[in-house]
Amino acid sequence: MNPLIEINMLESILEIVNTVRQNRGKEKLVAIHNETHLKNDIGFDSLDLAELTVRIEAKYNIDIFENKIVNTIGEIIEILEEGK
Amino acid sequence: MNIFLKDNKKNQIYHWEFLISDINETKSFNPYCYTDDYYAVFKQIIVSLLINEKIVLLDADFSPTEVAHLTGVSELGAFTKPLIENQLQKIQNLDDLIQKLNGSHPQWAITLFTSGTTGIPKKVSHDFSSITRHVKKSSRQKNCTWGFAYHPTHMAGLQVFLQALLNGNTIIRLFGLDTQDICEEIKTCHITHISATPTFYKLLIAIGGQYSSVIRVSSGGEKQNPKLFEDIQSLFPNAKITNIYASTEVGALFASENDIFSVKAAFVDQVKFVENELWVHHSLMGETENNSDEWYPSGDMVEIISNDPIQFRFVNRKNEMINVGGYKVNPHEVEEAIMNIEGISQVRVFAKSNSVLGNIVCCEVMVTRQNITEADIREYLQSKIQEFKIPRIISFVDAISTTRTGKLIRS
Repeated sequence: MNPLIEINMLESILEIVNTVRQNRGKEKLVAIHNETHLKNDIGFDSLDLAELTVRIEAKYNIDIFENKIVNTIGEIIEILEEGK
Repeated sequence: MNIFLKDNKKNQIYHWEFLISDINETKSFNPYCYTDDYYAVFKQIIVSLLINEKIVLLDADFSPTEVAHLTGVSELGAFTKPLIENQLQKIQNLDDLIQKLNGSHPQWAITLFTSGTTGIPKKVSHDFSSITRHVKKSSRQKNCTWGFAYHPTHMAGLQVFLQALLNGNTIIRLFGLDTQDICEEIKTCHITHISATPTFYKLLIAIGGQYSSVIRVSSGGEKQNPKLFEDIQSLFPNAKITNIYASTEVGALFASENDIFSVKAAFVDQVKFVENELWVHHSLMGETENNSDEWYPSGDMVEIISNDPIQFRFVNRKNEMINVGGYKVNPHEVEEAIMNIEGISQVRVFAKSNSVLGNIVCCEVMVTRQNITEADIREYLQSKIQEFKIPRIISFVDAISTTRTGKLIRS
């Protein structure tokens, strides 16, 4: 993947992740990377994951959880890239 | 297995011996159970049965305001009272415990709260015979290991708990674990029985694999489709699958091996269908604050497949409850809470379908005060309603969408 596109995507996913975190009264994250785990590193529970899918779908028109379980940021980017 | 409960979330294994000595050392009892600790909930229910006293289960995520509202008391700790001598007879061993638990409990009753249809959760009480109506006790049940996939203070969890307890079975907590850990627990603990919501099975299906130790699987709580049945069967190739219809008000009522239900001969005079809605006779119900009526409309709409004998399929809910991963959210309750915020003039709460939880709660609000933010609304709601009821997507709009008759559109 074009590294620039990937950085852009990481930034926009970080923004969405931070919206979800702030909605639960948690502080913003400064950075995420491909290996960042949604549950273990970001601390998302199923309600957060549900919100995350809706927000990503609103932006990219792709439901990331439609066909499989997604665990890391890298897997989200992969699905979004495939769906383009 | 000599284990009463394995709670991997807490890294704890409780053996029967531990439970029995813990019970024998119990000196006091509080009729209100308000904790998220599985062992503590289970032990409190067991003690209530042994001393034949009523118990009230409260969800650990009810806010203190909700608890005060539901129970009418604000200081639950004040209800702890010391046990009088010989009130709790010494338990000799597991057989003795099971025998005492299976005995009669004339004064005992358990109270739970439903998600409610008119604003606040509704109080429902069951006595021992109505809550154990579907508990099977036989030598065949003796060596079961149960995967526990429900909230311990909810009706379904209580049913699984009693089924396991009254047969002396081991309980393995699955609820609240990561999906990967759930798979591990099923395999390493050789779980034989699982009862869970369709959402639970969907998460396992997404990961795949096969679990040969499981011989019985039951599901309920959400509408099922035949594809899901097939997928569940391939996860558990040796299991018999049962679909159960149950509610907090009625308990477990129907069971079926597919999505078509029939009425057991014993209940034939106690259920009826009024304009395709299931009605249940009050003799089958737990006690609620206002169930003086002879028949209770369940709100569950069915499709009648044959009349003699009667066979039917559940179609949808008559009311507008939003099902978030098996938890019911009443949009009216959420709207009422939001309308209490100063500066909000109108609100519409609705469901949006979601691949993770089935549905998520969303809302549109109209404001009269411009500086009100999404964060303000969330902060306020956090102290008023449970987390899963708080809208995850809040949009500020100039006009609320309504139907032609002026009703709010729900989805």
